[in-house]
Amino acid sequence: MLWGSVLGGYPRSGYVRHEMRDAERGDSAFLFHEAAIALASASVIGTQVASGMRYATDGMIDFHDIFRPFARSWRNVSIDGLIRYFDNNFFYRIPVFNGEPDPARFVWASRVKAFKSISSPIGMKVVIPGPLSFLLMGKNESGLKERELGYSIAKAISLEAKAAEKAGAAVMQIDEPILSDQEINDDLGDLEVELLSIISSSIRLPTILSIYFDVPRKEIYEKIINAKVDYISLDVADSPRRAMELINAKGFGDKRPVLGLIDARRIHDDNYDKIKDMARSVAKNHEEVGITTTTWFDTIPYSFAIRKTQLLGIYLERLGNDLKLEVINPITEVR
Amino acid sequence: MTYEVPRLFPTTVVGSYPKLGNATELIKKRERGEIGEEEFHTKVRASIDEVVKDYIDAGIDILSDGEQSREDMVVYFAQRLKGYGKGDWVRIFDNVYFRKPIIKERLERAGEMIVTDWKYAESVAGGRQVKLIITGPYTMLEWSFDLFYKDREELIMDFAKIIREEVLEGIKAGARYVQVDEPALSTRPWKEEAYLLKEALKYIFNGIDAKKIIHICYGRLERILPYILDYPVDQFDLEFKNSNFRLLPYLKEYGFSKELGYGVVDVHTLQVETVDEIVEAVERLMKLDLIGPEKVYLDPDCGLKRLPRDVAKEKLSNISKAATSLRKRYG
Ligand SMILES: [Zn+2]
Repeated sequence: MLWGSVLGGYPRSGYVRHEMRDAERGDSAFLFHEAAIALASASVIGTQVASGMRYATDGMIDFHDIFRPFARSWRNVSIDGLIRYFDNNFFYRIPVFNGEPDPARFVWASRVKAFKSISSPIGMKVVIPGPLSFLLMGKNESGLKERELGYSIAKAISLEAKAAEKAGAAVMQIDEPILSDQEINDDLGDLEVELLSIISSSIRLPTILSIYFDVPRKEIYEKIINAKVDYISLDVADSPRRAMELINAKGFGDKRPVLGLIDARRIHDDNYDKIKDMARSVAKNHEEVGITTTTWFDTIPYSFAIRKTQLLGIYLERLGNDLKLEVINPITEVR
Repeated sequence: MTYEVPRLFPTTVVGSYPKLGNATELIKKRERGEIGEEEFHTKVRASIDEVVKDYIDAGIDILSDGEQSREDMVVYFAQRLKGYGKGDWVRIFDNVYFRKPIIKERLERAGEMIVTDWKYAESVAGGRQVKLIITGPYTMLEWSFDLFYKDREELIMDFAKIIREEVLEGIKAGARYVQVDEPALSTRPWKEEAYLLKEALKYIFNGIDAKKIIHICYGRLERILPYILDYPVDQFDLEFKNSNFRLLPYLKEYGFSKELGYGVVDVHTLQVETVDEIVEAVERLMKLDLIGPEKVYLDPDCGLKRLPRDVAKEKLSNISKAATSLRKRYG
């Protein structure tokens, strides 16, 4: 059984870029600005629905980086200067914890309510930065020990997750790009397993742990496959050799695999035969395999992100045929 | 006029300097097609004059043209090579974008790109040497989109060919210091990436009779240090100050023995490092007993383009003062 889903956010189209710039300058009415974002979100949801995805994201069009909306909506969190986001020519603002984070309002609940009827019959995927990425990529000025702050971040994320579940989300994805950092030590790996358990225990929704920009060190991965999540999503296409080596050596434990096979950081059409080989080698050991993009789409231009979504859909259908596997597509169930 | 580069602790720059005069406006005018390439380079001379004046005032020994013509280190070349399309908008941060170049056909050098500015800078440098500085093949590859090659080895070797032709032209014009900038390498610190670049550098520098320099900055360079130390260059120009000299013990561990461009001031902070701080930083290096003072070039971590002019100049001036005092101590 195969299914597809775009990993994360979309870039902004020219219209949205200009609208946001006007809004920053105070040249746009608030309502008009909100409407522009909503239209752009609906448009990328439509693209995902039409491409045969199992879950859709709302595109996170208004997120300046993966942390920002949370840093803005949680008490005791502020933002600081820009810092390079992994190996991208893209920079995020460092979230600064001045105390225990505490959601003043939820980022996802209202988005899910607004967009689930647009994406229907396809479920909405909620994407939240994971506690370890938040902790290690942020600045701790809370006076709490690293571990304590990690726990309080995980609790804040749990509250977000619960509210999103109640609003009708279909699946919860926890993004932990920091796990691909080769300098993550064993203690942090253990801490991550504890923190993930706090989040997944608070909801009944299926959870996906998603790791991208590279694959984790083997020692860390061994710990992570015991975390309390349903799916593990890996960035395969960025460094196929390293990723397949890890998968062949360690597998996915009792977790269901999600494979990042469409390269979301490069714009040329992906090589289908290579994707087929990698998907086949994982599918022979697992009943269910998700296919996704390597990372968020926000370092490629808008038109290419749309093209990559279509490719994901086209390749998914071809994989179903070639590997003789059923493809889950909520649209065909309705039909 | 000749100028003798001090034997110990020569001072230099990485390359870029704040845009002076109307350089920014000229770049825009050229992009809009309001002025041609020749007129552009003629008019940008006034900015280069100012840069060189600042360098000489600050007491720098080996200069650059301040990269006054280059709005961006990749886009500048993409706009001048055959094979690139127009590029498309990608986000850098918040709601700020840049037009990332897209390779659409086989790349070819259309003509000289950096030699005109170099020649001019050299002519006003009062006999000082001026580095010929070009963005390296790995950074060009990583920071462009590719719709044509789909094979990184083939693509990087085409960049290498283009860069070599440019370097040869610069050398013919008299350049004695050639620097290839590779900031992208440290963002992907993997052995196979280091080897990919090594092949390209071998091609570029084969038989080149000049001081061969590679500049790399930020990221996790220590992870690939053992794979790059045998690059065919004379000098590694590296960032140290920003990462609090984290690299030093690794240089020791891997037995670094080439010349070192030692980044002693941070280009990301407005605070100007004191002369004492710089001297202390150099002593930390010298205590490792790795290389002699004739192999240590003092410079900033990276290009100065994002700093205000007065801060940039003051940082350089303190580097030069530190070098003077160090020369007395080690001479
Ligand atoms: Zn640099």
